[in-house]
Amino acid sequence: MGKTIDLKNISKKYKLYNSSKERIKDLLLPKSYGKDFWALRGVDFTANTGDVIGFIGVNGSGKSTLSNIIAGIVPQTSGEMEVTGEAALIAVASGLKGDLTGRQNIELKCLMLGFTKVEIENMEESIIEFAELEEFIDQPVKTYSSGMKSRLGFAISVTIDPDILIIDEALSVGDKAFAEKSLAKMQEFKARGKTMIFVSHSLGQMKEFCDKVLWLEFGKVKEYGPTEEVIKNYQLFLKEYKKMNKKQREAYRDKMLNQ
Amino acid sequence: MKSAFIVLKEQIQYNYLIRRLSVYEMKSKNNDNYLGMTWELINPLFQIAIYWFVFGYGIRQRASVKLTDTFEVPFFYWMLAGMVIWLFFYRSIIEGSKAIYTRIRMLAKMNFPMSIIPNFVVLGRYYIHIGLLLITIVIFNFNGYHLNVYYIQLIYYAFALFAFTFSLSLVMSTLSTIIRDIQMFLQSILRMGLYLSPILWNVDTIANETVNRLIKINPLYYLIEGYRFSLFGLGWHITDYWKQTVAFWIITILLFSFGSYLHVKFRKHFIDYV
Repeated sequence: MGKTIDLKNISKKYKLYNSSKERIKDLLLPKSYGKDFWALRGVDFTANTGDVIGFIGVNGSGKSTLSNIIAGIVPQTSGEMEVTGEAALIAVASGLKGDLTGRQNIELKCLMLGFTKVEIENMEESIIEFAELEEFIDQPVKTYSSGMKSRLGFAISVTIDPDILIIDEALSVGDKAFAEKSLAKMQEFKARGKTMIFVSHSLGQMKEFCDKVLWLEFGKVKEYGPTEEVIKNYQLFLKEYKKMNKKQREAYRDKMLNQ
Repeated sequence: MKSAFIVLKEQIQYNYLIRRLSVYEMKSKNNDNYLGMTWELINPLFQIAIYWFVFGYGIRQRASVKLTDTFEVPFFYWMLAGMVIWLFFYRSIIEGSKAIYTRIRMLAKMNFPMSIIPNFVVLGRYYIHIGLLLITIVIFNFNGYHLNVYYIQLIYYAFALFAFTFSLSLVMSTLSTIIRDIQMFLQSILRMGLYLSPILWNVDTIANETVNRLIKINPLYYLIEGYRFSLFGLGWHITDYWKQTVAFWIITILLFSFGSYLHVKFRKHFIDYV
């Protein structure tokens, strides 16, 4: 069991500007303008081959930022990251071009991921079969329903056979039958020892599937451990959090950040 | 200089990718029309037809252009040779400068060789340019300007045109990703460019030495003159005007190096600017 993902002290800073004047000053002058927003603060996280890990947390806790960093889409501001193998991210709107047909999108997407002509030809059939789009495969993607789009995106991502698969809320769109098919595929991946990361608000799906859960709160790791344990704590926290009014939430936030 | 080699290497290494993506570039733009990609040819032809109607037919008939002491050509053919270049250049720079920030969301990965994006966008326009150039050649041959040995130069000038346009797009694509206003600025400048380049008027009519020389430094001037020398069979422009050849390549290489430097420096953070 080797480490596939090893993050040390990862932070991500976004800049918030109140006006375009600030933005241009920040770009041209050495002094810093605008407000810093830390989406992630010193996150440590490791995953081994074959781990299935869930990311949970309330909105804005940094789940998507973290998965984007692991997938190599967004650079981190500071910290060290080591990812062994190819990582693929599946998001609901995962870069399909509306004007092109499904088939063309498959080729385009695979080209972008660096596959050769022959490899793409080989994969095309199995992608189409998995996506179950039938004759819609030669229609422009803009005519697809959101379920069809995510099915196509999912089919592409699982067929390219990445070593690390990151699924960002993508499974919540498809119907029950497709979700089951996807889960079966996930099980197969799990059996083959691939690392998977689920980003979801559906605790049910997580319990069913994940070995470990990472709970993020305001860009920091709150808890990382076995699924049962973390989810239990998270549910307790959610109950408390729901009861809080705005002011209490802010106070809670400040308290947490200053720890 | 190091970054120039990195960018150049990526262009060669991902050659197949560039070619495939440039085809999709055209497809996705014209999928909705019944005539599809034919529109990419019809549009510029209409534009040329308007210029012909205005300047060559009646409304503002221009005098023939004297190319040598003994050789004169009607204004329309003279203009056409330059307009073909301009139509390609204008659209390529506009689209090339938008290339990165409009596509970055589609890219799956940060390690995607982003320097090829302006390349395949420009290449997509280049196919159309070749088509238009062929149509131009046909028009020329039907009107008495026949195929001649100097046509060989066209290959060189067509390549030089691509090299220059790509280098400029590389610079602009990075700049307008970081500062979106550049895009607007560029559109205004380019609109002037048509009149600053010797497409609709003859530079030799300017008496002022300095202005005349300044306009001739314009790389487009070099390319347009090269096309004209080839199509009218005037001589070997490359060597007859070797000083211009040297100046053109110095400008192009400087642009390319500067563009590569900017690109390599900022590409890791492009996504943060979107």
